[in-house]
Amino acid sequence: MSGRGRGRRTMTFNVDSVGISRGDSFPPSVQQPTPPFPVMEQKPLPLTGGEEAEYLLALKQEFRGAMKSLPCFIQPAAAHRDVERYSDKYHSSEQSEHLMDWTPDWKRFPKELRVHVRKPHRDGVSLSQSNRVQTSQKKKTVKEKEEVLLKLESLEKKEEQQSSGGEEEEGEEKKKQEEEEAEGEEEYDEEEFEEETDYIMSYFDNGEDFGGDSDDNMDEAIY
Amino acid sequence: MTVQEVRLCGLLLQEHFGEVVEKVGTHLLRNGAQHLRAIVHESGISLDLVKKSLCVLVQHGACVFSSSRKGPGSPTQYLISCDRILRILRYPRYIYTAKTLYGDTGELIIEELLQRGHMTMSSVVKTVADRLTQNMEEGRSMDYSEVSSAFSKLVETHFLQRCPPMATAQTTDTTTPATPADPVSTTLPTPESFPDCYKVPHVTLIGRGKRPLSSEDGEDQRNAKKAKLDSETHGDEGVYWQVNFERFHLHFRDQAIISAVANKLDQTSSEIVRTMLRMSEVMTSPTATCTKPLSANEIFRSLPTSYNIARPILDQYLSLLVDDPMEFVGKAGESGGGMYVVNLHRALANLARATLESVVQERFGSRSARIFRLLLRKRHLEQKQVEDFAMIPAKEAKDMLYTLLSQNLAQLQEIPKTPDFAPSRTFYLYTVNQLPTARLLLQNCYKTVANLIERRLFETKDSKRLLEKSQRIEAILASLQASGAEPEQLTEVEEMITAPEKQQLEALRLHINKLDSAENQVDETIFILESYINSTAASTS
Repeated sequence: MSGRGRGRRTMTFNVDSVGISRGDSFPPSVQQPTPPFPVMEQKPLPLTGGEEAEYLLALKQEFRGAMKSLPCFIQPAAAHRDVERYSDKYHSSEQSEHLMDWTPDWKRFPKELRVHVRKPHRDGVSLSQSNRVQTSQKKKTVKEKEEVLLKLESLEKKEEQQSSGGEEEEGEEKKKQEEEEAEGEEEYDEEEFEEETDYIMSYFDNGEDFGGDSDDNMDEAIY
Repeated sequence: MTVQEVRLCGLLLQEHFGEVVEKVGTHLLRNGAQHLRAIVHESGISLDLVKKSLCVLVQHGACVFSSSRKGPGSPTQYLISCDRILRILRYPRYIYTAKTLYGDTGELIIEELLQRGHMTMSSVVKTVADRLTQNMEEGRSMDYSEVSSAFSKLVETHFLQRCPPMATAQTTDTTTPATPADPVSTTLPTPESFPDCYKVPHVTLIGRGKRPLSSEDGEDQRNAKKAKLDSETHGDEGVYWQVNFERFHLHFRDQAIISAVANKLDQTSSEIVRTMLRMSEVMTSPTATCTKPLSANEIFRSLPTSYNIARPILDQYLSLLVDDPMEFVGKAGESGGGMYVVNLHRALANLARATLESVVQERFGSRSARIFRLLLRKRHLEQKQVEDFAMIPAKEAKDMLYTLLSQNLAQLQEIPKTPDFAPSRTFYLYTVNQLPTARLLLQNCYKTVANLIERRLFETKDSKRLLEKSQRIEAILASLQASGAEPEQLTEVEEMITAPEKQQLEALRLHINKLDSAENQVDETIFILESYINSTAASTS
């Protein structure tokens, strides 16, 4: 207690014992976290090489690669890119093929896991079946689609009216129309994305529907 | 479960089963046993994906399910096993061991089982035979019976075991499965507790491995073939096999002891220890602290004649082994020319201690290691004593000692002479506790591996474009070669990868190989430390 306020900190024990002699000042206190990558004072030893290590390495890399192509490697619902592409159809079928390989013995799994896991198997087999399974969800998208189509149609009509005015503008108009159509598609995709359902993967729209009557379209999708 | 373990498990799951499984897995790791609804609700992943992920985890034995304590009818709970996921790190070593013991067939059997989780014997045999046939030259094929016999050998030596049968599969078909029928027993059934765990069923499998049909034949044919194969029955439906990791670990442990003896003493003594271990392999239980006593006579008779060890020399070697400070071999009695045991747990403790010492030596220098060893041997020492015994100048010794203390490798024990803990009247004793230090180091190892994986992912992500390009070009080259293209065409395609790109790819490959190798080698340390920690847990309980 007597040492308080004398300007120099004193300790309640003999500081000599921790390696600080009488005249020395205390080491400065550190008030920041230690660096994430501290300097290494000792160089690490090289890795052991040799045939065994190399074989193990090859096994490891091969195994990792093999796991990626197995059915148990579950891909997250692929994030939708800007527009639907023709090639999407083939990507999704590739994946479902993997899933088809895996038919676990359901006796070994809890019942509650069972029913829905089969879904992806069906998805790959035929579109119509998957549609039937998910009719209720599909209806929603169909509705949206209808809206988009109606919008497009009205736009088309408007443009037709405009284009009747002058033939020179037609070229330009067409371009515009195309642009607008593309925009429409993009919008449509975004809406789909907001739904965030993975079944979209299996659904492929070949684009034919856009020209057709909206009523026809309804029939086709619902079953 | 520590933060490091969870992080490493997450990375391993991500690499082997994809991101979705990783999310479900880490969620389960963090929150303990949960039922399906809770997982879906809390993790925010769609129900379908959660179900699929759980299926994958159950399939690979990483996750067990049981009805909760409330009794039958309550929702099934899922419990993930951290240890089981960490085994993924050791997969290459299991496969390699199977190769050294049982050749290519054994290697492929283990590899196939590790990839798929669990399989029936017939499907393993078929896939392996097909794969072996594929690698053989044209016109030759692998007989199923050969693969079957390799499989049986693996089962006989307990490297493979049956998956425990589902307790409820037959009884309750309509309600949710309620494993262990009586809710009192909370311990999960181990595979070993079932009597025919190592019984190979009678499988009727005749035929040879097939080559995959060329892709021209189309999907229909392949599917048709698959359907036909599936419809066949082989008499082992419902009997699934998995890799017995414990047995592999026993083998690794024995190998570690043998190679340690070889390094410490010489080749001959290691062969003697190997013989002793092999003799007692069947008799000793996996958790025993030492092997069953073997008389010198027995050992002599079992030594392979090719070693050319005469009886008196054997006695000399045995007494040398007993006197060795590592205490691998102990003497249990005098009868029968001397009874000898292999101190399994002592050996593991000594190996772990050597690992700790070498870690200190490599990180803090040999003089710090001297202090560390000194503390290990003398248990408790005052600072002054450390300086004197280690024969290191006081100032440096203090510095090293404090570094060890701040790294938690050494501990400080205060013993006050008076109840007021006044520093001047207190003994400060430095000590090293082997077990907590080993635990600390084990966590560091997990962290190291996680960091290595993270780094590897970063490296691959950084040059993803380049990797994709090289893959594409390789594919083009392969297809061109198959169609018999001109050599100029081939070189033209090859030149699509520029020289600097090639250099970059080469550097990347080197880095990734190094990181992967490092992962493998850290796992060896992890194995020693884990076995040591497990052995202490087994001997105290």
